[in-house]
Amino acid sequence: MTAIPLVFALLAAGIWLSALAERFASGRRFPSGTVFAPLLQAARLLSQQSVRTEHPDGLNWVLSPIAYLTLAVAGLSVVPFAPELAVAPLDTGIVLWGACEALTIVAVFLHGWSANSMLPLIGGYRFVAIGLPAMLLSMFVLIAAALPAQSLSVGAIVESQRSLWNVVRQPLGLPLFLLLGLAISLRGPMDYGDAADLSGGTAAEVSGPHRLAWGIARLAMLTAFAAMGASVFLGGYLGPWLPGPVWLALKTAALLLVLTWLGRNLARMPAPRMMAALWLVLLPLSFLDLVIAGVEALP
Amino acid sequence: MTAADLAFYVLSAVAVVSGWRVFRTDSMVRASFLLMLSFIAVAAIMLMLAAPYIGMATVFMMAVEMMVMALFMVMFMMNPAGLNPMSMVHQNRLSIGAAATAFVGLTVAVLFTDLPHEKVARQAPVIRDLGHELLGPSMLVFESAGVTLLAAMVASVVLSARSGRFGPSDEGSRPPGLEPGGEPAGRVPESEQEDE
Repeated sequence: MTAIPLVFALLAAGIWLSALAERFASGRRFPSGTVFAPLLQAARLLSQQSVRTEHPDGLNWVLSPIAYLTLAVAGLSVVPFAPELAVAPLDTGIVLWGACEALTIVAVFLHGWSANSMLPLIGGYRFVAIGLPAMLLSMFVLIAAALPAQSLSVGAIVESQRSLWNVVRQPLGLPLFLLLGLAISLRGPMDYGDAADLSGGTAAEVSGPHRLAWGIARLAMLTAFAAMGASVFLGGYLGPWLPGPVWLALKTAALLLVLTWLGRNLARMPAPRMMAALWLVLLPLSFLDLVIAGVEALP
Repeated sequence: MTAADLAFYVLSAVAVVSGWRVFRTDSMVRASFLLMLSFIAVAAIMLMLAAPYIGMATVFMMAVEMMVMALFMVMFMMNPAGLNPMSMVHQNRLSIGAAATAFVGLTVAVLFTDLPHEKVARQAPVIRDLGHELLGPSMLVFESAGVTLLAAMVASVVLSARSGRFGPSDEGSRPPGLEPGGEPAGRVPESEQEDE
């Protein structure tokens, strides 16, 4: 039961840290008082009026940010903070995470579709075209990480890294997995849903509390992804001297900063070229990753 | 009634009601995701039946599948972005016959099958057993299904690509109107553009 407060503490800290990192990376002024800036921005958004489009699909319009946030929390529920200390220490942990990834694509699409407006709609369709192959290759990478553990449980995958972290054992794994993180948290080079070239894409029509909810959900998904990446590739809670939850938090923070930096500093390709790169180059690379893991796992 | 019974009835009701709404809604996107909701409820019942891998994999597969289905329906139907209302039912008599046959067949199968009664042991290696089954005795069945699906996917991509092997795939096609026989909605066919 102690795992539940840990999940929410990690989420809150991750959201706050990534909001700050985003601010720092954007090159805006960063005086000492800005540690509270995300809170001020949240308060400002809460007091703004909510704009509605003409004939939106009301149910999905309201549900999509909630679903996005819920999926981040659900994904985080299988991440262990210490041996046997997870909200849901399932035998099928990474399959549940895969289901969360897939449903996230649906949630972002419905957010764009339900607005009944052109730019969000284009953002939604474009995100699906890029998000689906990115999710596909992340699944191969995760299966490769599950091979040495001989289990689909995240706890077993962490335990299998006692001698060597997966980031060293399967060098292709983490870079490919990070692509998915950028895609499902709608950022930088993989942001085909909410990009500036569509005036904010699926979020082009949202304002006030709705925009705040969507922003929090995006950062929550980024945090959940970083915790998952830290567990599967960086040894999760494993480490000397400090207790497990602290190690997990440190590694999650490191991945959050890497993702923010990548999101800020990598250019985005045109969607058709990115789609070709995903299907023709990166997906075969994820097969190669699986082959390497398979050959290594041979007795 | 235990909590498990209650959960089963609620999930069954969600599966049936959302399945029914699939045919009563007027939008391809809504129909796809109502169907997804129905399957997710079934997947939760699978989880209750001690089939964790099949349950989770059903959620995963259905989310991807319904997303792709919505996308392909919009591509094939030439209904701009799936926003125009359109009926989700067709060939009513055939469908009613097929549905009634399937219902009777499945009911008979359920009533006359000798279903196992003993509970699955808590520590039973159900995922391992499933893996051995999939890559052992049932391998041929699953691999044939997999290759067939792959062939269908390649075929649908070939069909939906505009740069078809036999010239542009939308040649001579005419988008449907908002009303039967009305002006084409959205893109005007190229042949008519030249006349203007």
